[in-house]
Amino acid sequence: MSPSEMKTYDCKPTLTDSQVLEFCTNGYLMLEGVVPDETNRRSLDYCDEFSNHEPSGILGQDWFVEDVIVNPVAAGAVRSLLGANFHLPVLMSNHRVPCPQGPTHWHVDGNYKHQHELNFLQVFYYPQDTPIEMGPTQMLPGSHLIHNKARFMCHLSGIRGAVSTAAPAGSIFLTVYHIWHRRGPSTATGMRNLLKYFYWRTTPPKRDWVIEPDFDFATARYDGPGQNYSEQFRDAVKVAETFLWLCGKHESFRNLGGQSWPLPANRTDLPYGFPDGLPLP
Amino acid sequence: MTETQRQITESLVNDLQNGTLTEAQLRQKIADIAAGSDKKRQDVLYLQAGNTSPASQVIGMTYIEAGVLKEASSDPDEWHYQTVLDAVQDGWRIISFPNMALLAMSDEEAYGLGFEFILERWR
Repeated sequence: MSPSEMKTYDCKPTLTDSQVLEFCTNGYLMLEGVVPDETNRRSLDYCDEFSNHEPSGILGQDWFVEDVIVNPVAAGAVRSLLGANFHLPVLMSNHRVPCPQGPTHWHVDGNYKHQHELNFLQVFYYPQDTPIEMGPTQMLPGSHLIHNKARFMCHLSGIRGAVSTAAPAGSIFLTVYHIWHRRGPSTATGMRNLLKYFYWRTTPPKRDWVIEPDFDFATARYDGPGQNYSEQFRDAVKVAETFLWLCGKHESFRNLGGQSWPLPANRTDLPYGFPDGLPLP
Repeated sequence: MTETQRQITESLVNDLQNGTLTEAQLRQKIADIAAGSDKKRQDVLYLQAGNTSPASQVIGMTYIEAGVLKEASSDPDEWHYQTVLDAVQDGWRIISFPNMALLAMSDEEAYGLGFEFILERWR
């Protein structure tokens, strides 16, 4: 079977416990410069030849599937988050825009589902150098934990904590689908391409990524940038639930309220309410 | 007074000092200044604060100057105002306070970006 004929894929997971938890708190993961230069050039040529906004035919190119879709670093991260035999993309979008341009509105993409489960990933690939002058995507870390609707966000502009995904050619970043994002303003001249595609989970979640022997579920920090936009500790509770779900331990999850687990604190003993069945280092 | 009105006033003063000001010019320039007064335009400032206090840190900002949307700096430290009170002290007038209905939606979930104050001033 050629690479472009594969429906699903499996490989070794590459993320550690801490990196999986970090993805849960931030809502995205940047992998800089992981695609070979030659493939970046071929991808750009393809985007120039097929300049529509859904050049899905590129998924039929073996060289593209090998170096981008099942790129060892990116696929290893996807494998860590979505489990074995994850489903490969069947649609390619290209956010191709001439620069300079103003920013788009902040938004969440349509058909989002706010839930503790992580069953699909939205992934972006820059086939060209995309410095700040080329209007790289801006994201708001932790915003996947905050409900909003795209049409309620169109008046937003500067947001404290927003980050740019400015990155060299060959960079890939993975996101929770409903993270808040927008195209940043660009000042340079030229065409910017940003390919976007999806992976899906096909197997139940379990903690089969790179296990850290000293990872401690009791003292791990489940809070993150989401705390800047939500009621105190709510982000930690939501992140902990997602992390345990990814570990295949959702039945153990509980939040007893107050100062119980998973609130961050300097305790003298195991956090009260620490879920049964979780490993201790 | 707008910049245009200020310029007209200065030219009137100059003409007067030079002894070249005529009655017709005076009437015309007064009419020009008065016409400028009818073109006042609203500036609008959306400030999303961290909580309901106007003294809390601003976490989001959108600025519309005379009908034109101005892109905020990507560095929040460069924003003109770090709190709603900063803006009020600079002459902005609050015309809308945060919508507390968001509080009633859920104890478990957070909705929207912060607590939004909308302010205006006229130019």
